[in-house]
Amino acid sequence: MRTLRRAPIYVFLSIVAFVSIFPFLWMIISATNLSVDVTQGRMLPGTHLFDNIRKLTESINLVPALWNTLKIALTTTVLALLVASLAGYGFEIYRSKAKDMVFNLLLLSMMIPFAALMVPLYQMFSKLSAAAPLIGVNTVAAVVLPTFTTAFLIFFFRQSSKMFPRELLEAGRIDGLSELGLFFKIYIPTMKTTYSAAAIITFMSSWNNYLWPLIVLQTPEKRTIPLLISNLGSSYSPDFGVIMAAVVISTLPTAIVFFLMQKQFVAGMVGSVK
Amino acid sequence: MKKKATALLLAGFMLLTACSSNSNTKNEANTGTEGNAAGSQKITVWAWDKNFNIAAMNLAKDAYVAKNPDAQIEVVEYAQDDIIQKLNTGLNSGSASGLPNIVLIEDYRAQSFLQTYPDAFQELGDAIKTSDFAEYKLGPTSFNGKQYGVPFDSGVVGLYVRTDYLQEAGYTVDDLQDIDWQQYIEIGKAVKAKTGKDMLTQDPNDLGLIRMMIQSAGSWYLKEDGTTPDLKDNAVLKEAFESYKELMNADIVKVNSDWSSFLAGFNSGDVASVPTGNWITPSVKASADQSGKWAVVPFPKLKNAANSVHASNLGGSSWYVLNNDGKEAAVKFLGATLGSDVALYQKLVTDVGVVGTYKPAAEGEAYGAADEFFGGQKVIADFAKWTAEIPNVNYGLHTYAIEDILKVEMQNFLNGTELDKALSDAQSQAESQIQ
Repeated sequence: MRTLRRAPIYVFLSIVAFVSIFPFLWMIISATNLSVDVTQGRMLPGTHLFDNIRKLTESINLVPALWNTLKIALTTTVLALLVASLAGYGFEIYRSKAKDMVFNLLLLSMMIPFAALMVPLYQMFSKLSAAAPLIGVNTVAAVVLPTFTTAFLIFFFRQSSKMFPRELLEAGRIDGLSELGLFFKIYIPTMKTTYSAAAIITFMSSWNNYLWPLIVLQTPEKRTIPLLISNLGSSYSPDFGVIMAAVVISTLPTAIVFFLMQKQFVAGMVGSVK
Repeated sequence: MKKKATALLLAGFMLLTACSSNSNTKNEANTGTEGNAAGSQKITVWAWDKNFNIAAMNLAKDAYVAKNPDAQIEVVEYAQDDIIQKLNTGLNSGSASGLPNIVLIEDYRAQSFLQTYPDAFQELGDAIKTSDFAEYKLGPTSFNGKQYGVPFDSGVVGLYVRTDYLQEAGYTVDDLQDIDWQQYIEIGKAVKAKTGKDMLTQDPNDLGLIRMMIQSAGSWYLKEDGTTPDLKDNAVLKEAFESYKELMNADIVKVNSDWSSFLAGFNSGDVASVPTGNWITPSVKASADQSGKWAVVPFPKLKNAANSVHASNLGGSSWYVLNNDGKEAAVKFLGATLGSDVALYQKLVTDVGVVGTYKPAAEGEAYGAADEFFGGQKVIADFAKWTAEIPNVNYGLHTYAIEDILKVEMQNFLNGTELDKALSDAQSQAESQIQ
């Protein structure tokens, strides 16, 4: 009886699951087919996966691009976690009258579209190039610096910190920990799940980031994976099999990161403190 | 405690600088636009499509380097939208670093770049002889009477047809040499009745067919000045809209939603014809099993527009030199290759499939070759002939902005709105958006 009553729910959930998984399935199947078969909507796995990958590696520098993307995504994630969690922690734990006003201003910055900041940012970095070539245009630093911390991430850490038991901090203070010590020795280990969720979000968005790297990276050997995929699609006669192979390869790292941290991700999103 | 925290912070910065420093040494040598005192100047070229524009530019590069061993030319691939984005950001911010010496720009967009950034591009002067190029290419590539672009590929259109389907419906290629859109629709109905196949496939969100129709009669979305919208009382546009509606209502159109389903339409043999630019040839040939079943006939013309001809254009682009360090070398390179090298244009046809707009090239032997895929037809020669007949129009500044408005009005018109009302609505929207 109970199973019967639940049947509609399972049917509904199955449909939703299929709809969410179908694009991935189609992507993987298409990566094994010829371009002509892809355009004709062939839904059966083909035998051209290795052909497509071979053609892909012949037409773009796949490995250096993966390395560039990884470098940027990892640097961004490490910096973002450190800075945004410090900020979120500070906003929640310390008392100040101006706190909420500053925080609201910060949230307002989420409203400004990146397209509006692009030209002035580019101007800034191209002027910087002369004075400090290490962080000027065409460097990893130039990609990372304007993008690594976002108001969203600070907000996310602040919200999660609301559930952080302050008694732990008091206990730490009594035992003689410094303020930074409290953060690194008590806060970070307690908030592991929040950090995992934030890491996944940041890594994925940095891995897929498109517009700013496009603008600020100038030489071909610096390009990231999304930029190269964009080139493949801009052909008058695009080879969809090869494009799909490229998309599969560029999706793998984010998928791996996600599956490895899936448990913590879910826990982090619902905001549990263990 | 503090020490450890500081160490962690420092480690973070070390990672940051370590990642950026090793790649940075290359950076300095690579800013193509910075003055390079020693040796010859490096010329950087931006273009899209590895198998078409990039391949063509590499042939030009090889031809040039063979005669000038010192020349350094780097051809860099970007998607077309990415080039537009990077050019706009770079030119807007006034920062010359990072921009190339030569860039490929689509003809529909060229005027907006030339007029928005008049000092950013280098006039070609007598480096190319403009009278050697197809006339319709000169409007988009020049500004204020000065020539800025080296006209490149022809966007000349043709009607690709499946001869086997036509035969089944009782037509031969000869019947299609001089038709208008109404006759085309009649043939389409016959094909549908006999074979069950649709005549063509169209994406309602892409008005390329309208653009081809109106240019065949020397008209455009904008008046001669390139800025005033010409929609409301444009008789040619009206006729194009009416023909389009007839076509859509004749039940001979397979609707597609994007480029891949457009390609699928003819690759899978679902449609009997494809009215589009010659650059589609490689995609048509992708279905090798259809070899010998295709032919290319002249583009249908508008019935009532007096000056409509069997030739029009879709897409196509040209090369521009940016006004920065290295411009002299870049102009010289273009002038010596795409500006004058007939042999190079033969290679472009045989190796890449580019139909150029350099008129003397049409005399070469590659242009006269028969193509077995098209039943032995000399398609390149036909395309070259039609290229010379394309009416010259001023694409002006706002082709795509106006097309976005027209897409909506076209849907209104198809759903029953009066044509005059749809077009006058489009006119007022265009006027308020553009001015």
